[in-house]
This record gives sequence, structure tokens and C-alpha cells, in this order.
Amino acid sequence: METGEKINKGLKALEEKVFTQDLCAICGACLSLCPYLRSWKGRVVKLDDCNLEEGRCFAYCPRTKIDLDEVYQGIFGKNYEEIEVGPVRKIMMARAKDPLFTKKAQTGGVVSALIDFALREKMIQAGILTPRDGDLLPHGQIIKGRKEILSCAGSSYVSGPTLEALNRGPWKGGERIGIVGLPCQVLALARMKTSKLEKKTPIDRVALVIGLFCTWALDYIPFMAFLHERVDGHSIKKLNITPPPERILEVTAGNKLYRISVDDIRSFIRPSCRVCLDMTAELSDLSVGTVEGKEGWNTVIIRTVVGENFLKRAKKAGVIETQPLPKDNLSHLKEASLLKKRRALDTLNENGGIEKAYFTLSANLIKRILSESKGIAT
Amino acid sequence: MKSIAQNAPGKTVLLMGNEAIARGALEAGVRVCAAYPGNPSSEIIGTLAKVAEEMGLHVEWSINEKVALEVAAAASFAGLRGLCAMKQNGLNVASDFLLNLNLTGCRGGLVLVVADDPAGVSSSNEEDSRHFAKMGDLPLMEPANFQEAKEMTKLAFKISEELELPVLIRSVTRVSHARGNVRLDELPQSSPKPRFDTSRALTAFPALPNHKILHERFNRAKKMFEESVFNFYRGPERPELMVVTCGSGWMYSLEAAINLNVQDRVGILKLGTTWPLPENFVLKHLKQADRVLFIEEVDPFLENNVKEIYAQNCLVLGLRAFFGKASKHIPDVGELNPEIVSHAIQNLLNISYEPRPAEYALRAHESTAELVPARALGFCAGCPHRATYWAIKVALTLDGRDGFVLGDIGCYSLGMGPSGFGQMKTLHAMGSGTGLACGLGQLNRFGLEQPVIAVCGDSTFYHAAMPALANAYYNGANFLLLLLDNSATAMTGFQPHPGTGYTAIGSEAPVIDLKAICKVFGAHVEVVDPFDVATTVETLLRLLQKEKGVKVLILKRECALVSAKHQKRLYQVEVDQELCLGESCGCNRLCTRIFKCPGLMWDQAAGKAHIDEAICTGCGVCAEICPGSAIRKEKA
Repeated sequence: METGEKINKGLKALEEKVFTQDLCAICGACLSLCPYLRSWKGRVVKLDDCNLEEGRCFAYCPRTKIDLDEVYQGIFGKNYEEIEVGPVRKIMMARAKDPLFTKKAQTGGVVSALIDFALREKMIQAGILTPRDGDLLPHGQIIKGRKEILSCAGSSYVSGPTLEALNRGPWKGGERIGIVGLPCQVLALARMKTSKLEKKTPIDRVALVIGLFCTWALDYIPFMAFLHERVDGHSIKKLNITPPPERILEVTAGNKLYRISVDDIRSFIRPSCRVCLDMTAELSDLSVGTVEGKEGWNTVIIRTVVGENFLKRAKKAGVIETQPLPKDNLSHLKEASLLKKRRALDTLNENGGIEKAYFTLSANLIKRILSESKGIAT
Repeated sequence: MKSIAQNAPGKTVLLMGNEAIARGALEAGVRVCAAYPGNPSSEIIGTLAKVAEEMGLHVEWSINEKVALEVAAAASFAGLRGLCAMKQNGLNVASDFLLNLNLTGCRGGLVLVVADDPAGVSSSNEEDSRHFAKMGDLPLMEPANFQEAKEMTKLAFKISEELELPVLIRSVTRVSHARGNVRLDELPQSSPKPRFDTSRALTAFPALPNHKILHERFNRAKKMFEESVFNFYRGPERPELMVVTCGSGWMYSLEAAINLNVQDRVGILKLGTTWPLPENFVLKHLKQADRVLFIEEVDPFLENNVKEIYAQNCLVLGLRAFFGKASKHIPDVGELNPEIVSHAIQNLLNISYEPRPAEYALRAHESTAELVPARALGFCAGCPHRATYWAIKVALTLDGRDGFVLGDIGCYSLGMGPSGFGQMKTLHAMGSGTGLACGLGQLNRFGLEQPVIAVCGDSTFYHAAMPALANAYYNGANFLLLLLDNSATAMTGFQPHPGTGYTAIGSEAPVIDLKAICKVFGAHVEVVDPFDVATTVETLLRLLQKEKGVKVLILKRECALVSAKHQKRLYQVEVDQELCLGESCGCNRLCTRIFKCPGLMWDQAAGKAHIDEAICTGCGVCAEICPGSAIRKEKA
């Protein structure tokens, strides 16, 4: 390369390296920053060219070149080295005590109960959650009350541009914000926090990040087209995947329940998910997921001091109850998480090599992931 | 200028070519004048509309050129004199009627003026309308200056009555739109009472005897033209080069010959009656020179027809060399000018001549080039079409299925270029956007997945898109038609149409409601204001999702130039210099780099956008798109 020639770190590069490679995770970090990017039906769309050499869109994206050590240093003060489930202070099972949350939620209702608590305790003044519109299309929304929280419970197995709500506001200024996000969104938040670019967004007021476990998300348009062909013209009300070993997608449409094998929808998994290293939202304050075989409970991983103190308060206030996570479940969790990392590395290898991946990872760590994931049943 | 209708015989006035044609019609006692506007013909009927009441005429902007010709012909059928005017494309529309009218003949004098637009400066195409005269065996005359424009028009009515045939007059932009001195003659004081003669039907059927009658009339025209004062020769007895020319070519040829100082070597045969050609007159002059150069705009019409006469008589004439478009001495497309003619003559006579010393030309260019600001062909400040295409661009990009816009004729044809963000992908005849959509809207059955959009202006809709819309519903086509209703035939000079509520002469008229028509034609119809960009985008996206049937979205907002005449500006717009993000991440000059309304300026030194107060019309659309909320609009 000629000296002095600048490497583009703007929209042009984002388009080349992410959009055209079909790597967008639709996290929303690049949206509502400028007039050139908009989301539409589960896709980020470029409306016009922007010729800036450096842009926040590129800097915040969880799929542009990321130095993982730099990001983990920025959040945890240490390198990317805990290859199983990321940095951990404590792991436990938990569930909400108020049936209001458990009734509506897919598992233990912990996330809804915690956000509700954080708002009531004025630890945060706004939450950013991901409700779905009438067509099950998820979007980010600023929420301030219990009713709105409950409307966000559940999942449509499609990711949405949650972080757009953070960029878009409107903000009065001064609000502390709590965000519930998928691993890609939590990574984008960490990038926003650690970015050296002028921010103009309230990222520094994000006081609580709750991460959600995620194995994959589906591409909205083809997935919905697939579903609509199978529900006899009814409008779809609810989606639910039954726990393993059954793994059936239950579609509530009209007054009927349609059952579809999860294997039939795997082709709609976003390519971006296939190269994702993170199942447990490692860059959060605390992460929440299911517990295999224990209906009505959540797995909770506490990662930061903020997360730990917050959970203590919630427990003390009787918002949640906890139990130790059984050993078998812990090892299952670690295996599943490692398996996601290994699958991502395998996919990257098939697509032209890990060295071309969106993250930098030492050869040693790659070796460890591959060897430690050996023998895990897929 | 004093009224075109002044009765001042002998007085010389400065007239535009189209005004001279209008005056010629008045002097001929025309009673009914009809047209559909189209550059460069529009001022003919526009001028007559202004004096319609004073002169007791019926003047109308008809819905399209075919109807206009029918209206003028109807006057002729009832024994009155009728005038019809149109541009070259218009004759394509009217040709079906014209090529029956030649066989039925007419009664009162009927003159059809067709103003061609060489180079297609303000047209979708470049076309030579003279071929229609040949196709229909109809007399054709071409004025070369302003006096001729008036005299020929006047004479054309008389010839038309004598031959019982419509007479065509072909003008071109530089004759229609330039101005010159015209000596006026008397205006007639009386006109016959109209009556339709029911004793003889006017029908082309049976075609054979009528075709024979047409040929007889045609031969009479040929004889008549042998004596025409509009055909003459100027030059030496035995010129080295004979220039044969007509229309605008006459002035160019004359100027070239004078500049080159070759009037003793070059003769100019100027023809005013170009179909049928006065064969004997042409032959007489072909005898004078061995080398012949043709100068005419658009197609080699004279060139080929004179060569045909020569071929018939070559044994008598002997060898002749012909130069022109076929020999590539004259470009075969575009307008002519004295320089092009001069080059051809220099080339053929082997003369070196430099109109301007090269050094002077260079200096002139250098010292003036930067005085002329570079301006792209684009929409006016505050034009609703810019807002419309912006919304189309956003909606189609978001939709993501590579949808596209089928274009039509009007200001919005500029949607092809940067001003319309390159959204329009086809452009043909009036109404063709909707017609093409009827076809593309059938292709989903073969697997076409792209959404189909047609755009059409209000005037164009009445003109030619209504049958296409009816067809769409009848045959079950799936597309979205955007009716860009700016309440004017804006591109040709704001002529009224059936949707405007007034007529060519300014009197009140019933309004034909676009929305109601579209509903009757079975379309799902919605109306938005394109200045409300967010709602327009949302509506477009929603309608694009509707798969079946014809959807019509009327984008209603008056032409900015029309609004400016009767209404104060909507908003006072300003850019808050503190809030303007300029080139920084978050904006990067959206308003001046992408949206590009001419009312917005970029201050390089300050790195901020500004409103150009002199140009801004206060539409407020830029305030809607500004990402930094820096552009503020306040109700003016």
C-alpha cells in the first residue's frame, strides 16, 4: 500500500465488509446516527453513499474488524481469554417471584423483573427493550413502565435493531439507561463505549447492560414468507420453540397451533449468526438465559460489579429468588457456548480463513477453542 | 408589444416566429384554433388565446393533439377556417386522424402547424415531421423567416380551401422562437356562418376512389407550387456550388456565404414549398451547377426528394455530385448553425477561413468560462417533483426488491437525471409509462419479482394515460401508478388542462377529478402531499407491499412556479449554524451533496449549509430531511 493512503473506516467500508458479505447482525448500532442508513423489515439499508473516511457506523459495528483484547480490556480490564462463557463473577439459577413476570415470560421472567425493579428503584430512568410490531418485526424502544416491559417478553426468533433506540432517543439528557440485548448488541455497546470517536449518543449514560443468551436469529423476510405459507392466511400471534429434545416451533395463528420442526427453519439463520463467537452475551453486566431441563428458571451469569450489586439488591428486595446452578447444567452451558465458538471458527475457515474474520484472535486461543470443544456432541 | 390583433396594415412589428404564425392565421380569418402544448409550438395557440375574445375566436387547449386536430378539422367541415398547432411528437399522436383526413378532404381552410425540435432540446426525441406530409400526400411549406411565417400561414388557408386538403406548415425551434420584423396586413372583418353540408359524407371509405382524388389534388398542389413566391434562387448564373435549402437553413446558408465572401461562387436555391416539390423549378436550377449541397435540419428530406427528381431526369441533366447528410458534409443529427454550413462550403470549395482567430477564441473562453456557473439540468427550487423522487428513492431502496420507475413526459422526465436521483428508468411517448406498466405488471406470473411503478403528470394523464389505466384494470395488471399532480402543464408554460378549472382563454371550466377517474377505472386510490416526505415514504412502502391490482397514489402539490404567482411562501427557512453538522459524521452534507435543492448553498469556508434567500421558495422539505434539525422552517 502506498504510504499516506487512508484505509476507509466509513460507510463505504461498512458496505463492502459487512452488508455485501451478508454479515449484518441488525443490532441497530449504526442506525439513527446519520441519514444514510435505515432499517426495513429486518435489514439495514443504505440509502445514499457517504464518502467520509471514518464513521461511527463502522466503528460501532459488531462485524467490522474488532480487536477483542482491546474491547475486553475496555470493559473488564483484561484480555479475551475466558473461552467458555466469558468473564464470570458468579453463575446461578434465578426466577422472578411475582407471577406477573413468570406467567408472561418464556422462562423464569428474570429479565422483565430486573428491568422493572431497576426502573422502580430509579437505578435507571429508561430501559431499551425490543418489542415486536403486529407482524412480529422486532424494533428497539425506550420503555418506562411495567406494561411496556411485559409487552417485550417472549421472542420471535428474529433479531431487531434494538440499539437504534439508544441513538435516536428522544432523550431529555441525564437519564440513566438500562439495555437488554443479544450478544451482537452487547458487543456493539462495548464498542460504542470504548470508541475514541466523538459520540453524540448517550452511551456514557448506559448504567446497566443485561445480555441474553442466543444461539442464532432468523432472517425476517424469508422466515415470515415461510411461515405465512403455512398458516392458512391467519395472522401470526405468537412463536415458541419447545425445549430440547423436542425442539418444535409452535406457531399460534388464528385459533390454531401449527407445529414446525426447528430443522425446517435453520436455513433462515442469519449468516452473521454463523460466524458469531458469543452465545452468552459476554460483554454484559449480567447475562440471562434458559436452564436446560428446568422449566421456569433462568441461568444468570454475573460479570461485573455493577451486575453483582444490582442482583444482590433485587434479591434482597424479593424481586427474584436464586438457587445454585446444578453442575451438569453448568457443564452443558459451557459446552454449548464453546460449540458456538467452534462452529463460528469452522464457518470462517470454510469462508476463506479465520485470519480474514471480523475479529482478531491469537493462534493460541483458536487452538484452545478447537481442542476444548472436541468431543462435544453437536 | 401591442396586441397581435391590432388592425394596422403596413405597420412593421417585432414578432416571435410563433406569433407571426398566429398573426398569419388572424389575417386569414381563422375562427377555431386548437392545440395541445408542446415546445417549440406552444406560443402559437397561447398567443391566439390572449386575443380570442377580442377577435371572436374559439381557442382551446385540447386534451391531446389528435383531439386538437379533430376540433380544428371540424371547423373546416362546417366551412370555417381552423388552425391546429403541435410539436413533432404531437403529430405522431394526431397522425391516425390526419391519414384519414387526407382521404376525406376538408372544406374551410385547415392549417396544421408542426414545430419540430431539432436536437430534441425540449423533447424526448428528435424527429422530422415532414415525412407525414409525404406519407399523406399533403402540401407542406417551411417558413425561413418571420415575414414568411406569417405569409405562408395566411396563404396555406387559401391553398387548403382550393385543394380541399389540410396544409402542413413545418417550423423549427429557431424559426418559432426567434424574433424578427414582420409587416402587418389587414385583418378581415367578416366570417362565413358555419354549416355542416349533410349532402356529402366525409369518409375515407371507399379508399380507392378517395386515394385517387387525393392524388389529383396532390398534382394540383405541385403545379401550384411551381409558381410559389416562397421558392427562389439567389446567386450567379453558373455557381461552383448550389446550396439547396429550406426553413432555418436559408439564413444559415446566407450568413455562411456572406462570411466566406463566396456569393459570386455559391448559389442558394431556397425552397418554401417542400412537399410536393416544384419539380420543374428544381430541375431548372439543377441545370445551373454540377455540385449540389443540401442544408436542412433533422432528416435528409429535401436531399432525398431532390435526388429522386434528379434520378428521374439524369439523362437530360448529366452528371451531378450531391453533398449533404449522406456524404457526411452535414451532421445527420442535431441542429445546424452558420458555422456548420460554413465548414461544409469551405470543405467543398477548398477555402480556409477562421471565423475567429484561435488565440482570441481561447482568451474569450478563458475570461468568460468561470463567469458561468455550472448548473445541472434539474428541478426548480421548491419543485414538488424533487420531494416526490426523494420519497421514491427512499421507499424503493428500503423495499429492497430492485423496484423501478417507468417514466413519462413532463418536467418529471428529469427524474432520469441527478435531480430525480436517477430513479426514472424509461422514457418514451405521452402515457407510455402507464402503458409499459400494463405490460410489466403482467410479468409476475413469469417470475418478475421487482415492484413496478409508473409516474405520470396530471396533464399527461388526461392526454394519453387514461386508456392505459383502464387497460390495466381490465386486464388485471399489478403496478403502482404515481400521479404527480402539480395542477399545471408546467413544462410547456403552465397551460391549463381538464383538471385545472379554467380554459385556454381563462374562463371557468368544470374540473375533472383525477381521483374520481382513477376510482372509476377500478384502481385503489390514495392522495398524499409530497412535501410531507415521511408520510409519502410510508404510503409508498405500504402500497408497494400490496401485490395485486392497480394502485394509484396521487401526489398533490401545485407547481412551485405557479404557486409563486398567487400565493405567499409556505415557510421561512433558515439553517441554524450552531446545529448544522456540515461534513461531520452524522450528516456529511446531506442537503447540498445529495438532496441538492438549488435553494441550498454550501459555505466552504464555514463548513456549514445556508439558504439562498433569493432562490428558496419556502417549501420546507429540506427541514424534514435535515438529520441535525438544523434547518428550521417557520410559517411565513
